[in-house]
Order: sequence, then C-alpha cells, then structure tokens
Amino acid sequence: MRVLPVLLAAVAACSADPMIWPLPSSFTNGTLTIAIDGRNFQFNTTTPSDDLTAAFGRYRAQTFQHRPVDIGGLFTATVTVENPFAELQLGVDESYTLSVTGSAITINAPTQFGAYYAMETLSQLVIFDFDTQQYVVKNGPWVINDKPRFIHREVLIDSARHFEPVETLKNIITSFTYAKINTMHWHLVDQQSFPYDSPTYPKLSKMGAYSNFERFSQNDVKDVVEYARQRGVRVLVEVDTPGHAASWCKGHPEICPSPTCTMPLNPATNATFELIEGLFKDLKDATIDNHFHIGGDEVNTNCWTSTPAVQAWLTEQGYTADQAYAYFSGRVSDIVFGMNRSVTGWEELWDHFGTKLDKRTIIQQWLPGSTIAKQATAAGYRVIWSTDGVWYLDGLSVTWETMYQQEPCTGIADNLCDTLVLGGGGEMWGETVDTSDIQNTIWPRMAAIAERLWSPRTVTDQKKAAPRIAYFRCLLNRRGVGAAPVNNKVARQAPPGPGSCFDQ
Amino acid sequence: SYSFCTLLINPNMRAALLLACVVACSGAPMIWPLPAQYTNGTTAILINGLAFKFTTKKSSADLTAAFARYTEQTFPHRPVGTSGIAVADVTVTNPSSELQLGADEAYTLSVTASAITITAGTQFGAYYAMETLSQLITFDFDTQQYLVKDGPWSITDKPRFMHREVLVDSARHFQPVASIKNIIQSFTYAKINTFHWHLVDKQSFPYMAPSYPKLAQKGAFSKYERFSQNDVQDVVEYARQRGVRVVVEIDTPGHAAAMCEGHPEICPSMECRQPLNPTTNATFDLIAGLFKDLKEVTIDDHFHIGGDEVDTACWTLTPHVATWMEQNHMTPKETYGYFSGRVSQSVFDMGKSVTGWEELWDHFGTKLDNRTIIQQWKRGSKIAKKAIEAGYRVIWSTDGVWYLDGLHVTWETMYEQEPCNGIPTESCDKLMLGGGGEMWGETVDTSDIQNTVWPRMAAIAERLWSPRTVTDTNAAAPRIAYFRCLLNRRGVGAAPVNNKKAREAPSGPGSCFDQ
Repeated sequence: MRVLPVLLAAVAACSADPMIWPLPSSFTNGTLTIAIDGRNFQFNTTTPSDDLTAAFGRYRAQTFQHRPVDIGGLFTATVTVENPFAELQLGVDESYTLSVTGSAITINAPTQFGAYYAMETLSQLVIFDFDTQQYVVKNGPWVINDKPRFIHREVLIDSARHFEPVETLKNIITSFTYAKINTMHWHLVDQQSFPYDSPTYPKLSKMGAYSNFERFSQNDVKDVVEYARQRGVRVLVEVDTPGHAASWCKGHPEICPSPTCTMPLNPATNATFELIEGLFKDLKDATIDNHFHIGGDEVNTNCWTSTPAVQAWLTEQGYTADQAYAYFSGRVSDIVFGMNRSVTGWEELWDHFGTKLDKRTIIQQWLPGSTIAKQATAAGYRVIWSTDGVWYLDGLSVTWETMYQQEPCTGIADNLCDTLVLGGGGEMWGETVDTSDIQNTIWPRMAAIAERLWSPRTVTDQKKAAPRIAYFRCLLNRRGVGAAPVNNKVARQAPPGPGSCFDQ
Repeated sequence: SYSFCTLLINPNMRAALLLACVVACSGAPMIWPLPAQYTNGTTAILINGLAFKFTTKKSSADLTAAFARYTEQTFPHRPVGTSGIAVADVTVTNPSSELQLGADEAYTLSVTASAITITAGTQFGAYYAMETLSQLITFDFDTQQYLVKDGPWSITDKPRFMHREVLVDSARHFQPVASIKNIIQSFTYAKINTFHWHLVDKQSFPYMAPSYPKLAQKGAFSKYERFSQNDVQDVVEYARQRGVRVVVEIDTPGHAAAMCEGHPEICPSMECRQPLNPTTNATFDLIAGLFKDLKEVTIDDHFHIGGDEVDTACWTLTPHVATWMEQNHMTPKETYGYFSGRVSQSVFDMGKSVTGWEELWDHFGTKLDNRTIIQQWKRGSKIAKKAIEAGYRVIWSTDGVWYLDGLHVTWETMYEQEPCNGIPTESCDKLMLGGGGEMWGETVDTSDIQNTVWPRMAAIAERLWSPRTVTDTNAAAPRIAYFRCLLNRRGVGAAPVNNKKAREAPSGPGSCFDQ
C-alpha cells in the first residue's frame, strides 16, 4: 500500500480531529471499534413525519453503499425529534446530539433538519471495511453535540451566465448536504440571459432566455425548492436590479433606458416597478423562503445620464444618478417588504442608504477590502460575508487554504459577531461554469468555506485540516460528486497523473 | 404545422446557430445516434406527461424497471394539462433475454396522432426504443406540455455494430462505484452497450479477489480505493438492467506491476516487476484464480486478457527468468506467446471466451484460437484487415482517434473514422464487431471523467450505431450540439462541443447550443 495514505491515516488517528467534515462543535470519542449491521440497518423514531421518513431512506442508502458480508452489529439508530414538521427558514434550529456506543446509536434534535445533520455525521463515521466486508465505526464510543456557528451557509449558483438545468441544480443541492451547507442562493437572471418563465411576464424568458430549452418553468422552480427543502436547504432567489438586467430588455424594451443603452433598468417609468413586482409575486408563488435577494450591485448609471428621456426624469425629480439608484432600490425593497418577504441585497445598498435602510435588510458584503460588515453590524444590521478574491469560487487561483483562513468576524466585536453576522458563503459565478464543470469548480474548495461557517471559530489549523479535507474530497468522489484534486493550485484542473485520491 | 425548429429557435439566437438549425431541420432529426431508418411528417403530437404509462402484455422484471426509469427520464418537467397520448404500448418477444454479445437490439417505434407503439425482440431493443422516444418527446415551455414534433414517426432501428464500448480504467485512478454507475447510465443515452472495465494495471490493483486478497490489500491505492466482490456484482447488475454488458479486462503479462506488492513471487523481481514471471505455475494459477473469482460475479461470456505493450526487458535482465527461457528454448517473444497462450487457455477452459489486444495477433497469427476477438488499437495498424481476412472477429479502437485521453482529438475527427476502411464489405459486415472509445485514466478521476468522455464519445457512438453512410459532419454538428445539451439536461457533465481541447471549460457566458 502507498506510504502517504498510511501516514495520513496515522495522523488522523493520532491527532485530535476526526474524519468528519465539517468538524463538529463538540465531541468526545475513544478507541473502540463498533460493528454496524449494514444490511438490516434502520432508523427508528417515535416522532415521525414525511420529511423524516424520506430522510431515513436517503441516509440509509448513502451510509451503506457496499453490500456487506458480515452483518453482526448495531442495526438501529433511534431518532427523537421534538418537532419533525419544522418550517425551513433562516435561523431554524439545526443542532443535534449523536451518540454511538457499543450498544446503541441515538440521535436527538429539536427539528428534522438537525436530525439530517446527525445522520450526515453518522454517515461519515460509519465506514466499510473491505477486509471483513463489514461496516464499523472506529474510535468509539462517540458523543457528539453539534450545531452550526453561523445560521446562513450558502453557495451562490448563477443560472444566467450559463443555464444550469434542474438536474444539475438538484445534484449540486445534494452535494451541499454532505458539507452541511443550508442555503442555495439562486442568482436567477442577469445581463446575459433570463431563463425564468414568469407566468405574468412570459416574454421575459421567451425572448430573453438563451434558447427554448434553457428555461425554468414555474413548476421547475417549485420542484427545486421542494427538493432543497426536503434536504434542509433554503432557496434564496435573487432577482438582481437595476444593474445586471440587460436580458430583460429583449422581452420588455420599455423598462430599459434605450435599445442601445440597456442597463441599469429604467427608473423613469412605473412599468419597470410593476414588472419587478409581478416577477417577485410570481416567485413568491413558487418559493417558501421568507427572504428574497434584490441584488443592487455594480450599477453603472451612464445609461441613465446619457439617455435624454431618463436624464430629463432625473432632473425633474431633482435626483443625482446616485440618488436615482437609491430611489430604485428603495422601491424594489418596498415591493418585497410589501408582500411580506424580507430583503437581502449586495453591499452597494448600504453605500447608498446607510442607516436609512430598512432595519430588516440583510446586507451581503462582497467587495474586496470592504469594511461594510463592520460598519453595518455596528449600526445594528445583519450581514452575510462572501468577499470577492477569497470566497468567490470563480477565482480559480484561490486555494482551499486561503478560503479556510478567512474569518467573517475579523475586526467585529464578539457580541455583534454573534448576533448580526449571519454567515456567508461561496459564490459560484457562472461565466465559465456550466454542467460540465460546476462540480469540480465548487468542490473541494467550498468545503473549506463550509467548515469556516459551521465549526467553532477556533478551528483554524490548516495542517490538521489538510488530511481531513483530502479525506472529505475522496468521500465526495465516492458519492459521485466530481470534487477536483485538493492539491490543485488552480481550481478544477485534472489530476496530473495516476495516483491515489488522497495524494492528489 | 409546427416545425421542430420553432422549439429550438428564439430571437435571442445567433445567426450561426439559426443557420445550423435550418440545415438540421431540412435533414436529420435531433435523435442521437441517428436511427437506421425512419420516416416522419410535419404534425405536432401532444403527449400527456402527467399520466404517461408504458404498457405491455408480456412483462418481465427488467421491463417493469425500465418502464419506470424511462418514464422519469422522458418527463422531467411537471406539465400543465392532461391531454395527449398517455400510453405507449410495448410488445417484446422475449422480455427476459440474456445480455450477451450479439443480443437482438432492434426495435420499431411508431408515434402517430393517436398511438405510440414499440416492438422489439428483446427487452434491450425496447430500452433503445424508449431511449429514442425520450429524445423525440420535448417539453414546450410556452404551453408547458410535452410534444412530439414533426410526426407521425415510423422508426425501424438496429445498430450497425453489435459491440459498442467505452473502456473505463479503474487502475490509473480509482473510479468509485457511484462514478461508474453514473457513467454507465450516460452510456444508455447514446446507445453504448458495453462497459470495458480495465480493472487493474501497473499503478494499482483495486479488486478484492476472494482467492487472493493480498493483491488489493497491498496493491490498491488505499484501503478505500477498492472494489469488493459485491461491488463488482452490483455494477454488473446495474449495467445489465440497462442493456450494458460488462467486459472485464485483467491485463497481463505487461501492465501488471501492482500485483507484485501482494504477490512478489509472480514477478521477475521487485526491482523489475513486469512483465509477470512466466517461470512459475504460481503466476498462472493466480491469474486463473482471478478470472475464476470474477466469473462468480460477472455474467458476460467474454473476458479481456489484455496482452498489450509487453516490454520483455525484465525477462532477459532477470537471471532466473533468462535461465528458464534458455532451458525452455524460448525467445522473449515466444515466451510472450507462451504466457498469453496459457492465460487464454485458462479462460477458455472455464467456459468463457477471450478478447485481447492486437499484440496477440502479432504473436500468434492464425495459431490463435479462432474464438478470440482481437482489439485493434495501434495507430496505423493493419491488424483489423489481416485478422478479418483470416476469419477472426475484431473490435476497433485506434489510438490517436478513438482514445478519449487524446485531448486534442475533436469530435469531428472521431466521427470521420470508419472501422471498415480498406476491408472488403462482406467480411467486415460479418467479422468487424464494432469498437469504442478508450478512456485511459492517467488524468481522469471522478472530477473529470464525464467531461472527458462526453460529448466526444457521442461521435463514436453514432459511428458504431448508425448506417455507414451517415458521415456528414456538417449535418451532424447541430445534432451533436443538441445532444450535448440533452446530456447536460440529464445531469451528465458533457463539455462544450466546440472545444478544440477536450474537457475545457466554456470560454464565457452563452447558450449551451453555441459552445
């Protein structure tokens, strides 16, 4: 057998940190090997729900992928959930306890989502021994008390620079569950294409999608939302305006400044805001999350000041271009709050509104070197952190180590960090990402962000993380996720030559 | 009437694609690979995607499972409305047929305004009919209904070649079972019917042979990168249910150094490991034992015994082997012949048939058992012609054009290959079984296997299925672009069709169809 994996295994066994990713917030374990019956195993509960039953089926299949020969050992896990019908919203209780002793496996959680995370952790503890063809849990007994450090742990998926078919979205969402990611931030539309079939404004996608096949029906959106919900993943839909919206103009030229100057959207007509309202209403029908993302980033107002009709309107209103942006985003924000949903937006919103922003607004920091998170939390606003240059997954030269080193609460007082920094995530902008390379661009680097968002703040030692993320990468591969080699200096590159998954 | 193109085109589309679409609409349909024979019309036929069922009077477990798979595959979007054809009636002469080389894969598929009908000799033909149907049925986002365009369709189809493979290499990189299953699933979309499993090689030995567990215990890349006996059986059954044969290759005497870790006695020495040691029965007992273990968990009549790229230096340089050759009056070449002959014999003796690389022909010529299938692979090789002339069966997978690890080989080049070039048609028809794309694994693991195999493998798939006259790359271009997007919609990571180099990322934002 190769030397390095043996070394890694030895390191793993001798160091404190187990091969569970992300690292649980607290755990104890021992030196006992516990046999698990992989053929007859069942999850049992006295607190059932449809969600829990479906999850039992999924996790059973996920945990026991090889047909065992020897089947002695524990064949049941008792799962007790206080509320197995909990609603999936930001801040839902995701904590759990998991105990694996020589005689029993026990899971307790306040909600079904915590139970999912317990089963995920269990699925990483249970390993198949090829020599005995039996399942075991090593280094038991385990007592794990776990909960995430941050409640918002996202991956942004961009379905506008490239269409991402529903099947691709579902595969990605499933992969999230392995690293305890709980939010798909769906950047639905943008300058290049508009794939969403809005029932109220069908021309948007009919004219603005890349093709008749690269579209999402209303039912598609619902199906993705339900698929995600069943897996404890929120779907936060972003409709980015007034910038990033040129594709809207093909179906509705009236909401754009002019045919030759298409972004940002035209603030001078109510038609624009009626359309945006209709869009969000349609999306409200198809989604369940309390939050929408209204975008608001990178607004170059040249097309306002250089288009006579729009400039005239600005003058009439007494707005500078900047103020017109604030007006625009303010109206969109009102629309969303008006339909009983809450607003998240990019940090430019803070730039323009500061403390005039509705207090319920969540601000997403993204600019490199930005101090928005610090300023906004100091003023009592909630923030999420996904800074370009380190947590932008399309930064192909950013290694997992760099991502792991980031600390969203840097420079922020502890009490503000604990209450107002909700979390953050990895942003998979789609300029060079489609179904062929979405998995190997996101993974394994997103795992580094996932641990930063879940595990305690003190879990920062890269040397200890290295064998664990290598192990996790191979686990992802074993589950059919196309995670790229961990040692890549540039994301998504092919392995350079033959070798073990653990060495590359 | 409602042209198929209307579904594809929207005003956002670039001129080039519009033109390509016009070309496509004037000729071949968006079915890949192109069926042997078809007629169609100009009528759009409504399909009920909410309540659709395949029915049959003579069922089998295989057919029932396939009905469920294809229903799910064909209708991925929840439609609105419940009108349209809701039934496809399937008649299969023998729906519990055995999956072996040459199984009947023909089918007829008829889609009229009132009925969908499928007939086939075996369940495998029915699978292919359902695959074709799943490509004919498209979702109209405007009406949120399923349609078959340009009907009525009458398709009579069968493959040109009976052996249509992808070689997957689980030794240069371990390929987990989940990855293998995903790849096998993707084969069905292009009517590939053989998974040539290059199980072990110089770098690693992942197979947990029950009779020789040390091979994998010492020779696998790690304790996680192994296949249990049940894993192999599960892969074989997964494939069988989908009409895909699994031909397992144990490559000897070259390409076998990984075996030495667990069993040094079968190697010339630990400093000079391959080819394997011909001087001891232990070597041949082990190889036979391996095939016996595999015979327990596989069902195909054929094993592949490898036999390629044998550099005999370690025989001549290792004293005890050199001595043995001298004592037995064998040159290194003859020793190779002796080695492969013994391996071949042990496979035939256990009631299985042998396939091997073309070096076997080099050494044996017409002394080869005539049940042996020869796989041509070398660039510029004339083996296929010679072997067929002598009455042997051949499969064609030439390096430089059908080796999928040749990253600079484009789909067009692959499409242009013709296995029967230079071979008299009559004998080619009888003896050229087919061939395939070889996905050597030096730089291929779970992270990039899909985007390296696809979409280029589709070009090979059509060459192997469709009639010999289907050669026009201009006509194929929009169709393979469409097929690539279909693969993506089914979750297969097929790379952009226009890549000059395989598996590269798309260069910038754009439509699937344009890249």
